[in-house]
Amino acid sequence: MVISRNAAEFVVAFVTGGLGALVCYSALQNGVAWGASGPEPGYFPFYVGCLIILGSAGTAVQALWRSGAAEVFADGHNIRTVAAFFVPLVVLVALCQWLGLYIAMALYLFFATWLGAKLRPFNAFLVAAITTAANFVIFEILFTVPLLKGPVLEYFGIY
Amino acid sequence: MGNFGQLMDGFAVALTTHHVLIMIAGVLLGLVVGVLPGLGAPNGVSLLLPLTFGMDPIAAIILLTSMYWGALFGGSTTSILFNIPGEPSSVATTFDGYPMARKGEAVRALTLAFGSAGIGAMTGVIVITLLSGWVAQFALRFGAAEYFAVYFMAFASFIGMSGGSPFKTLVSMMLGFACATIGMDTISGESRLTFDWDPLIGGVSFLIAVIGLFGLGELLITMEEGVKFEGVKARLSMTEIFRTLAELPRYWATLIRSAAIGCWMGITPGGPTAASFMSYALGRRFSKRGSKFGTGEPEGVVAPETADHSAGSCALLPMLALGIPGSATAAVMMGGLMIWGLSPGPMLFTTRPDFVWGLIASMYLGNVIAVVLVLATVPLFAYVLRAPFKVVGPIIAVVCVIGAYTVANHMFDVWLALVFGVLGYAFKKLNYPLAPFVLAMVLGDKAEDAFRQALLTSDGSASIFFANGLVATMMGLGILLLLLPAISYVHRRFKPDGAREGVVSVVAAARYDGRDAPATTAGQ
Repeated sequence: MVISRNAAEFVVAFVTGGLGALVCYSALQNGVAWGASGPEPGYFPFYVGCLIILGSAGTAVQALWRSGAAEVFADGHNIRTVAAFFVPLVVLVALCQWLGLYIAMALYLFFATWLGAKLRPFNAFLVAAITTAANFVIFEILFTVPLLKGPVLEYFGIY
Repeated sequence: MGNFGQLMDGFAVALTTHHVLIMIAGVLLGLVVGVLPGLGAPNGVSLLLPLTFGMDPIAAIILLTSMYWGALFGGSTTSILFNIPGEPSSVATTFDGYPMARKGEAVRALTLAFGSAGIGAMTGVIVITLLSGWVAQFALRFGAAEYFAVYFMAFASFIGMSGGSPFKTLVSMMLGFACATIGMDTISGESRLTFDWDPLIGGVSFLIAVIGLFGLGELLITMEEGVKFEGVKARLSMTEIFRTLAELPRYWATLIRSAAIGCWMGITPGGPTAASFMSYALGRRFSKRGSKFGTGEPEGVVAPETADHSAGSCALLPMLALGIPGSATAAVMMGGLMIWGLSPGPMLFTTRPDFVWGLIASMYLGNVIAVVLVLATVPLFAYVLRAPFKVVGPIIAVVCVIGAYTVANHMFDVWLALVFGVLGYAFKKLNYPLAPFVLAMVLGDKAEDAFRQALLTSDGSASIFFANGLVATMMGLGILLLLLPAISYVHRRFKPDGAREGVVSVVAAARYDGRDAPATTAGQ
């Protein structure tokens, strides 16, 4: 699967244009007119939204005009590499929500370095354990910034 | 010389053991951030910022600025030894730095880079010392309309000077403005752009955007391109370091030219990346050995490094004196100032002189510490970088996740950072500039307030923006800058070929302006 640069340009311009429309829509609900006490709250965002739409349209037209159709944005290999990194990242964040930051990061680091970077399991374990411990010391002890602990650590009395 | 006395007071503040230790810690952290691709200065400063909320503002700003110096220096190490810029602004250093290292002159290249970087930074700090008080005095006369005009000029210069596609700059900047308006409106108290969704009512922090756009986005790109560190070994010898330092004055012309470019690009929001490219391009044009640039020419290392660092330090001048940051990192620091309860801008010089001058004095010291530490740690970082990036990448990702969480202790922010990460990835690959986004997000509220206050005083008539000479000049300059892409387009179309080339090469250099080229585009 190959995504051409032009396709990517259009998709991104379409998305940003959509965001611009969303901004305009929301601004209209706040009121974009000139009220009794000066500009209404939607006045400024409305024009910001308009400029986003304008810029997106301009980008799309430029892409069409230049039409560097041969240029590749990403091919199958690219997509797989990025996905192999990004999907575990999403899992990490989901795990954080559920298990707390420390346990989630330890699990993520172990699997990412074992399966992703092809480290030996013992080395992957070391990387995960040392990084997690270092973070615990830095945040909980040195800077006293508490991170989300999650149910497991709380069960063991670590808050 | 009122400034001089105040600077001495500043040194009294900066030279305490506590603050010097903070500088050393900051520089070391900055070196780590600068050396690792995927962790840049704006992102590093964002990650550290939540940890400073409980600190005294002076100690906090010294920590953050020292980290910034460290990051600027660290970026050059990898450029020269591995041909992989650790920072976007050190891309130009790879052009001649890496060839020099391959010819067995790694130590010479590194010393030249750090030496000229130190000179560049010092020039920048001296400019700040001399000009900041004066600019602040001048800015005290500003009203709402003048402030809006200054913001307008800053944003217009991004569009006018970014080259690339002005539309893309516009989209990026306006999306930043839109993100800044999310949440409660400061004047009317209405909630805007929240779509009645609770997590959005508090607004979106610019730190989340930076961590996503610069941190996760760049990480995705670095992963995709699969960096391999195939470095050149460098064995440091003291004699060679000193011999090279003695060689530096020979490049005086390049040094002066590059420092001037850097100061200019730093004060106007061009940023260090643009400055280093422009300085490299001009160096190639004006140097006697210009044709040898790219094959390992010492001047090709001196030019971008000097400009990079003088721009990096000068970027703090408008932040302090006007409340308008000159680079993405300066924007993040300014956001930090506001969080600590200080309002950047001319008033800061009268309300907190100890803060301002303590900071300026710490810049002198911080850069000296950075030069020494960066030379001392080259072997260490060269060793660390032999770890495969597939192991380092996940660790950086974890740091970004923690950083996003610590901003406000919300998991929602972490999800948001992921979204910004995807946006950053797409934007970077398609050459959308990211710096205007961050700048607009930090300045959004202030620009809007200035705009609305000005219009309120004039009863809605836009004539207030042209009411007196000062504001009219600034607005006029802003409009001119906005039209610059169109003018240069017409200019290029109707100029004969020969004359075109020089202009194009300078414009091409300026095109990197704020664009923050991806971490691994070097090596061509």
